[in-house]
Amino acid sequence: MVEPGERLLARLHPSVAPLVVGAAGLAATAYIASVDPHEGGHYPTCPSLYLTGFYCPGCGSLRAIHDLAHLDLAGAWGMNPLAVIALPWLAWRWLRWALESAGVSVTTRPAPGWALYLLAGAVILYGILRNIPALAPWLAP
Amino acid sequence: MTDIPPPPMSPEPSYGAPAPQPPNNNLVWAILTTVLCCLPLGIVAIVKAAEVNSKWQAGDYAGAQASAEAAKKWSIWSAVAAAIVAVLYILFFVVLGAASSSY
Repeated sequence: MVEPGERLLARLHPSVAPLVVGAAGLAATAYIASVDPHEGGHYPTCPSLYLTGFYCPGCGSLRAIHDLAHLDLAGAWGMNPLAVIALPWLAWRWLRWALESAGVSVTTRPAPGWALYLLAGAVILYGILRNIPALAPWLAP
Repeated sequence: MTDIPPPPMSPEPSYGAPAPQPPNNNLVWAILTTVLCCLPLGIVAIVKAAEVNSKWQAGDYAGAQASAEAAKKWSIWSAVAAAIVAVLYILFFVVLGAASSSY
C-alpha cells in the first residue's frame, strides 16, 4: 500500500528520510540536554500525570534522556529504567534503517512472538509497580 | 481504508528457502509512543506487533499481514492521539494563563 507521503519520499534518495529523522533526534536530544527537565517550569507536566496523578511507563523519560546526554547512567536509570533500555534499541533500529537505505543489507532474525507478548506484559506491570509507594525508590521517577 | 492488497505470501510453506522477514510490525512506533507519549494505545500496538511475529512464525502469513495492518493503524492512531492531546494541553495552559493574568 503506497501512501502519498511515501510516494513523495520515493522520489528522494532513500537515505534522506533516516538522515532527517536522525537530525531531528539529535536536535531534540541537544535541546533536552541543555534545557534541564529536572527543574520545574521548563516543560509542562505530562498530561497523563496531571490528569490521573499516576506515573505511566513513560514518566521520567525526558529526565532520563537529559541524564544520558550528560553521561549520567545511574541518574537516567533512577528516572526511567525502561527508557534507558528502550533508547539504545531505538538507536539501533535507526542505524539499521539508515544502513539499509544506503544499500547495506543487515540480516536480523525477527523477535519471537512470545518475547513481544512478554514485553507488553512487562510494560503494563512496570506501569503498575512504579506507583506502589514501597517500590518508588527504584521505579518511580 | 482503501482496498487491501492480497497477501504476498501463499500459506504453503516454502521449500527449504530461508524464511523471509515478516511484515513490518511497527514495533518502533509502539515503543516510541509507550516511552515518550505514554498512551494505552502504545501497549495495544506492542501486542499487535507480537501478533504479527507469532502468526508469522506459526506459518499464518495472511494473519500476520492482517495483524501488521492493525499494528500500523494503532501506531497512526496513537501518534494522532498524542498530537491532539499535546495541542489541547498547550491550549489549556494558554487559556489558563490568559485567564489568570487578566485583571
